[in-house]
Formats: sequence, C-alpha cells, structure tokens
Amino acid sequence: MKKINYLFQNIPALLLLMLCTVSHPVSAQDSTAGTSSKAVAKPVKNTFESNWIFDNQTVMVPKKGTFEMDIQHRFGTVNNGYSDLFGIYAPSNIRIGFSYVIKTNLQLGMGFCKEKLQWDANVKYAIIKQKSTGGSPVSITYFGNLVVDTRKENNFVTSTDRLSYFNQLMIARKISSKISVQAAPSLSYFNNVPGYTDSKGNILPQMNNAHFALALMGRYKIGSTTALVVNYDQPLTQHPANNPHPSICFGLEMTTSAHAFQIFAGNYNSILPQNNNMFNQNDYTQGQFLIGFNITRLWSF
Amino acid sequence: MKARISSVFFLSAVFFITIFLSAFKQAAKTPWVAPDKAEKMTNPVKSDANSLKEGKELWIKHCQSCHGKAGLGDGSKAAQLKTEPGDLSAAAFQKQSNGGLFYKISEGRSDMPSFKKKVEGDEDIWNLVNYIRTLKK
Repeated sequence: MKKINYLFQNIPALLLLMLCTVSHPVSAQDSTAGTSSKAVAKPVKNTFESNWIFDNQTVMVPKKGTFEMDIQHRFGTVNNGYSDLFGIYAPSNIRIGFSYVIKTNLQLGMGFCKEKLQWDANVKYAIIKQKSTGGSPVSITYFGNLVVDTRKENNFVTSTDRLSYFNQLMIARKISSKISVQAAPSLSYFNNVPGYTDSKGNILPQMNNAHFALALMGRYKIGSTTALVVNYDQPLTQHPANNPHPSICFGLEMTTSAHAFQIFAGNYNSILPQNNNMFNQNDYTQGQFLIGFNITRLWSF
Repeated sequence: MKARISSVFFLSAVFFITIFLSAFKQAAKTPWVAPDKAEKMTNPVKSDANSLKEGKELWIKHCQSCHGKAGLGDGSKAAQLKTEPGDLSAAAFQKQSNGGLFYKISEGRSDMPSFKKKVEGDEDIWNLVNYIRTLKK
C-alpha cells in the first residue's frame, strides 16, 4: 500500500518530467512527420484523437467545419459495491455538449449538465502547433468557458452568483507516433463560494473564489484506433476549508472516422472542469473511484 | 379467403420493395468518372514505408468499416450502405489513375464521405492512394 501511495504521489512529477525532458525534434520518431518533402516543417497530426481525455480538454481543435456532439456520463462511486452495482445504479451526472469549428483553429461550443442544471458556453483556440522539424516542439491551445448555474433563485443572493469561469492553457507534445503527453495549468473562478458565520456573526468564505490547478495527461496507442489514456489533476490553491482532492483517471480510448469513445475509472464526477477542480471530494486514497464514459460524434461540413 | 388476400398483398409488397431496392442498387452502379484534370494529376508522395504506414492507419480509421480489411467491400457497415463499396483489390478498380483515386477519396459520393473534410491535407489522401495500391491482388 505504501508503494502504491508513493507511486500516486509521484505521478505528476513523472508526467511533467516526460513532457519537459523529451525535447528533441519529433521528426525522427513521428510517423506523421516524415514524407518525401523533408524540407518543409509541417504540423504534427493527431497528438490526441479527441477534444477530450476524460474530464479535460486536449490541445486538439478539429478541422474547420467540424460539428461535434458530446455525450458524457459519470456513474456513482464504486464504494457501495454490488448494492448499486459499483455505482452504475447510483445517481449519475450527464452532460450533452455541442461544438463547431467556425474558423481554422477556433472552436465554439455549448452544453448542458445535470449537476446544478448548469449551462456552459466555451471557446477553444489552437495558438501554436507542434511542427515536425524546425518549428515549435509543443502544441499550445487555450480553452475557456462561462458556466451558468440555472437552479431556482433561492439558491443565490444575486443573479451574478450563478456564474463561474474556467481558463486553461494546454501544452502538449507528441513524442512518438504512439506516445503523447500534455500539461495544462488552469484557473477556475466562482463568483459565489460557500461561506460560514463565525462566533462574532461575521460571514466568512470557506473557499477562495479563484482556484489554480494543474492537469497532466498521457496517451499510449496500442493499435491504430485504440489507446490507453491516463490523467492526473493536482489542485494548487489552498483554501481555508473544503480543499479539493486531486484526481487520477485511467481508461481506454477507441476512435473511428466519426466517433471517439472513452471508458474509464476516475475520481471526478462533475464533468464541468471548474466544478471538478474546485469541489472534488472523491479521494483516490480511499478508493473513491467512479466509472465514466465519453462519446463524441463528428460531422464534417 | 381473408388469409389468401393477405398473402397476395404480402407477396406483392415484397415484389415491389425488391424492385424498388434493385432500382437503388442500379443507381449505385452508375459509373463514377473523375474529371480529366484530376485523372492527370501525378502523385507527389512517394510510396515508401512511411507513406504506407500512414495510409494504413488512415485506412483502418476511415475506410475499413465499409471497404473491409483487404478492400473487398466486406466491412462491418457494408450491408447498411445504399451503394456497393466494390472490390478495391480487383484489376478493374486498380487500373484507375492515382489522380482519379485522389479525386474520388477527396470528393466522395453518396454514402462515401468527402475525405478532404476529414483528413488534414492532400498528403494524407495521397498516403491513402498509396496504401490502396497495396490491396491489389
């Protein structure tokens, strides 16, 4: 058990090390890089096969004119065992999302999520793309969203309390045709956070409004259309109370011409990233894992 | 009497549906001719190990489900198609020019999507053309 804990504690360091140390040109290894015209540096393709790896975005922005529908589902935690079939019969969380690549490298999207009846609008922009030779050694993409909590008015003091925001910069590298890694620092911001009243009657926040976090992910292709994927999320901000737990997620990704399907086990159940990063109370050291899946369907226009 | 009328009606329905579907099949066999300009295009991507590897990956992801692993038209989705995927290993198919294949993969027709909207660039389509040549019997 000690060994497992030691491994878990060092996952972020190992993934970050992989991303930082492998900095030589990808052309010699990347099957997408080499062609007959060797002189021209070309963007490396398929660093990831989908917009998503579990709960996080990847650097990928699909081709211009691509419309995507996402179905994301998270079951309950497995801790109740057979009584709720390892969380499958427990209350679940669902998000349905849509996105469209309106311009090369620019994707706009929206979605709605069961948890807190939240609606989100999001934007994703590929700033830099990794090149085969002589260009950028990494791809960098920005992702941001605005989320509205649409529950009844009595949950809020003012209407702006409903809003939260998420900003993330994803830095990824395709190391070889099989291995890709990504590091993504993020800032979540909630206009309204839980509070408490102290003995003098002062209302104090239990948590800060802003929360920094770091997500690390890796992909290892085991076939042309199948890959093992892993993700780790580390909270960085320390709050007065209710500090969120880090998350580990691992699973399988299968892709086709128009679909991506991921099935996995992880700790996050909120789907929307600011909720996961800020409020996750599932603790992997206590075995509080849940099963989830993502399905994406792409249409090309 | 009622049963006989039902049987006649059922058989008639089967007959007309068969005629209707065969008309579709006939339409699907309409020759697909690439424009002259496309036919004359030369393949700028050398058919080397890297191109074939790329082409195979693309084939598995985008083509195999309809055309089958060896291009025989026996993919898992082939039976659902309005159009016959054909036999890509046959001499009749393989005698087409590289440019003609490039055009058809790029533009698509009926069930076959336009892959210029799905893949990153022309190079990927040429990689596919190179791989399809290896399916020849």
